[in-house]
Amino acid sequence: MIRAFSTQRLLAASVLCLLLFLGTSPWKVAAAQDDLLSMLDAEQAKEPTYTIATFKASRLINGQTIETVSKNHLNFWISHRFGAVNSGFIANFFGLDEAKIRLGLEYGITDRWLVGAGRSSLEKTYDLYSKYKVLRQSNKMPVTVTAMAGWGINTMPTGYVMESGATMKFDNNIERYSYWSQLLVARKFTEKLSLQLMPTLIHINKVENPSMSNQVLALGAGGRYKLSQRVTLSAEYYHSFVDSEDEDDDYDYADDQDTAYPYRDALSFGVDIETGGHVFQFHLTNARGMVEKQFIAQNVGSWGKGDIFYGFNIARTFSFDKAARNAHK
Amino acid sequence: MKKSILIFSFFLMLGSGLSFGQTLYRTSVGEVSFFSKTPALDIEALNKKAGAILNSGTRDFAIQMKITDFQFPNKLMQEHFNENYLESEKFPTAKFAGKITEEVDLSKLGTYPVTATGNLTIHGVTKPVTVKGTIVASATQLGLTFAFNVRTEDYKIEVPTLVFNKIAEVIEVKGKLSLMK
Repeated sequence: MIRAFSTQRLLAASVLCLLLFLGTSPWKVAAAQDDLLSMLDAEQAKEPTYTIATFKASRLINGQTIETVSKNHLNFWISHRFGAVNSGFIANFFGLDEAKIRLGLEYGITDRWLVGAGRSSLEKTYDLYSKYKVLRQSNKMPVTVTAMAGWGINTMPTGYVMESGATMKFDNNIERYSYWSQLLVARKFTEKLSLQLMPTLIHINKVENPSMSNQVLALGAGGRYKLSQRVTLSAEYYHSFVDSEDEDDDYDYADDQDTAYPYRDALSFGVDIETGGHVFQFHLTNARGMVEKQFIAQNVGSWGKGDIFYGFNIARTFSFDKAARNAHK
Repeated sequence: MKKSILIFSFFLMLGSGLSFGQTLYRTSVGEVSFFSKTPALDIEALNKKAGAILNSGTRDFAIQMKITDFQFPNKLMQEHFNENYLESEKFPTAKFAGKITEEVDLSKLGTYPVTATGNLTIHGVTKPVTVKGTIVASATQLGLTFAFNVRTEDYKIEVPTLVFNKIAEVIEVKGKLSLMK
């Protein structure tokens, strides 16, 4: 009994010695600091970390991305689409002799809500739109979802000839309006790769032919792949679900080549280059329009026929955030 | 044998019980800012969500913050800072863990100039550093301020030649923490 007791005392004493040794060793100090760090880790893990920079800009090529402009920041867009590559060297210098231009402004009302306006020389169209980031991708949310709605007015003189060759007559100004709404769903899969889906609904108040639907439902898909910190490849495709081969239709586009449904899906490829405050986007596309109604619903260009347009967008961001600037002082 | 386990656990408690006379002071809203000054451009960013803990007994100190919480007046700059320079998706946090070398008794009210030595991690690179600061001990909190310089080169933060004249080689870092019991 006594012997057993002394064995225990010996054990206890050795444990004490060990603890004392550990207590003064540098290992213990580092462990204590790591404990503090893991406490901080645990606390900070509670708050979601939001994914940033899914795309370089608020536009992918022709269409929108889930990105909005930060609060009190202004984005100035200059977009050009030159003539078709197949328009001849002498006649049109492979398209560089002419260009369609869109000038646009975007302003961030909050970090998630943007309003924008623009004016295109194609069909002399003014457009207004708004985007709101509904969900943000984070370590707790797989995707970012942005809702977009826009309105446009075509200010061409009545009786003008459309790109499709049809003559468009307007009896009143309401007929000049078109509307579009989009749901943009994107995920930044890796630092380099982001993909986006864009279900779209477009309503055009007056279309060129009574057999055409005023509504166009489309699904877009696009993405980007970063080659380096500053250079990004991008692609964008919009498919319109148009009933152009409907047998019951009294006006069947597919049967008659001359009156075949004139509009085609838009497919675009681009390279983005970022330099400080600017984003330059260079691209090849079969769509010349820069407004949703034009490049999704009423695009006449065809890759197969060589209706390929060079284009570029330049975005310049300005900060008007005085509050944040003065916060440090 | 049961008894020996009891004694063992008693000493274990005693071992960790060294902390009986010590208190953890902490914050989750510490402010850390940095400043880059070149003739071409001044850049300043502020993080108001730095988490920090100070053990007044052992004088161990740790601070950690998310890179994405640094707010810039120009959000495009903020995006570049995260995407191109600090690569915050790969290296989401900056942290320091160390110990105050002076044997200060922070339970007594007063102002103490202090020095902390430990490891600073930025952009996934860990370096031993010594940081000078001041602690103002009041009845309810410890006010800690510190300032030090960081060489971007030391932490493998690459500055492209295109913007070389806009980003300083040495960045001034400042912190202001109100650590509560």
